[in-house]
Amino acid sequence: MKNEYYPWGGEFTACKLDGCVAVVLLQIEYTPTSEVAIFGPLRTENIGIEKIVANVISNPHIRYLVLCGDDIRGHRSGSSLVALHKNGVDEQNKIIQAPGAIPYIENLKSQAIDRFRDQLEIIDLIGVKDKDKIDKEIKECIAKKPKCFGEPYIAIRIKPEITVKLDDKRALHSRIVVNYMGKIEKRGG
Amino acid sequence: MFLFTKKQEVFDISGIKIGGQPGEYPTVLFGGVFFKGEPDFEKEKKNIQNMLDLSQRTDNPAIPDFFIKKEEYVEKIVDFIESTLPKNYPFSIDIIDPAVKIKTLDALDERHLLSRTIYNSIHVGITDKERKSLKKHRPEMAIIVAFNPKDKSPDGKIEVLENGAHLTDKGLLAIAEEIGIKKILIDTAALAPGENSGASIAAIPVIKEEYGLPTGCAIHNVVEKSNWLKNFESARKTVDASSNVNIALFGGNFAIYGPIENANLVFPTIAWQDILVSEYMENYFGIKPSDNHPRRKLF
Repeated sequence: MKNEYYPWGGEFTACKLDGCVAVVLLQIEYTPTSEVAIFGPLRTENIGIEKIVANVISNPHIRYLVLCGDDIRGHRSGSSLVALHKNGVDEQNKIIQAPGAIPYIENLKSQAIDRFRDQLEIIDLIGVKDKDKIDKEIKECIAKKPKCFGEPYIAIRIKPEITVKLDDKRALHSRIVVNYMGKIEKRGG
Repeated sequence: MFLFTKKQEVFDISGIKIGGQPGEYPTVLFGGVFFKGEPDFEKEKKNIQNMLDLSQRTDNPAIPDFFIKKEEYVEKIVDFIESTLPKNYPFSIDIIDPAVKIKTLDALDERHLLSRTIYNSIHVGITDKERKSLKKHRPEMAIIVAFNPKDKSPDGKIEVLENGAHLTDKGLLAIAEEIGIKKILIDTAALAPGENSGASIAAIPVIKEEYGLPTGCAIHNVVEKSNWLKNFESARKTVDASSNVNIALFGGNFAIYGPIENANLVFPTIAWQDILVSEYMENYFGIKPSDNHPRRKLF
């Protein structure tokens, strides 16, 4: 299935498998041509961006990322995505010069971010809601017929290491225990 | 249903009490006003009245949670708060953009409304300007959202409260203390399906036992982001309202239940759940429901 090409899941529509364009929708009701590879909305400036990065580098045919519509107030997710592509992240995993409220990329390795920056060219149409104009930009990208970037890059989601091994099954969580009646206490008193 | 060993704080804002042991005080319900699109004042006036009526009928306290998305809305919405809510009635302001937050704090101070204000919210994205503004115009109560972008588990949520997970210079609790806000509610940050969405519920008893602070979340966010549920349109509202019972069941004190239009479903659902919890808590642990509790009103 087409969606297997996009390992992180999310609220997107997969179209042409070897399409070269991904379209990011920012508060806009718009369906691009089925010649694009994938399109879908972006909401948050952290987890939302991570999903987009993971789901475009997994398809090496995608070479253009078109952002259109109005950026989300406060979150500034679209502008934060542009900043990630332009500047990368700092040592705290914060997107450098991102205007969003919490612009942290915590679940992707730096190699995945590097790959995103190398593989994709950003077409920044933030603020543009004219569908004809967006169609035209997408058409121009497709007409360039860019080469496939190479092998897919399957980004591994970084997960905190699970270190808790409990013999006491009364626990809801490693920090607390619950007795048979439902009284909660901190583990170890 | 649980009883906590740690002493549970109960905070009062304009007569509404939030916190305590499960079964002690009713779940406080925050309904989103101006949730989507441009502000429609006439519509929301009716919705607020309806929510307040439901609150009177069930005894679950209602807090209108005002979304303010643009700077140009600030004055109009503050006017609306002043003219629409009953005298001294508490409310929360739900704002993402730091510039809008600062402008709103300024306006609320000017109108002497800060003693009724719940600030929604302090999180790891807090800016220095926002901190300064909060010190200058201190709201009575604040919600801290325990969102940790790198660890969505209950431990990660505690990490941001304790030390800011290296995203802020100090923990969010210390930031609130530095600002001088003493009445703190913890929102366990409900995330989309696939992002450890259940952790927002599991974290409630963990955080309450750790800090004793009133705790809850906006579990509605998980429902809103469940794409598959769009294929079950007739069930969607029911799932949305009933998702909030998880909060009360796990010992939580408040639910930010999404758009105020959902009040008709949410209030009776949570009143029912609060009665269920209260019966067990009194029978096993001797926790008596407060004078204003759905169990006293409806049972």
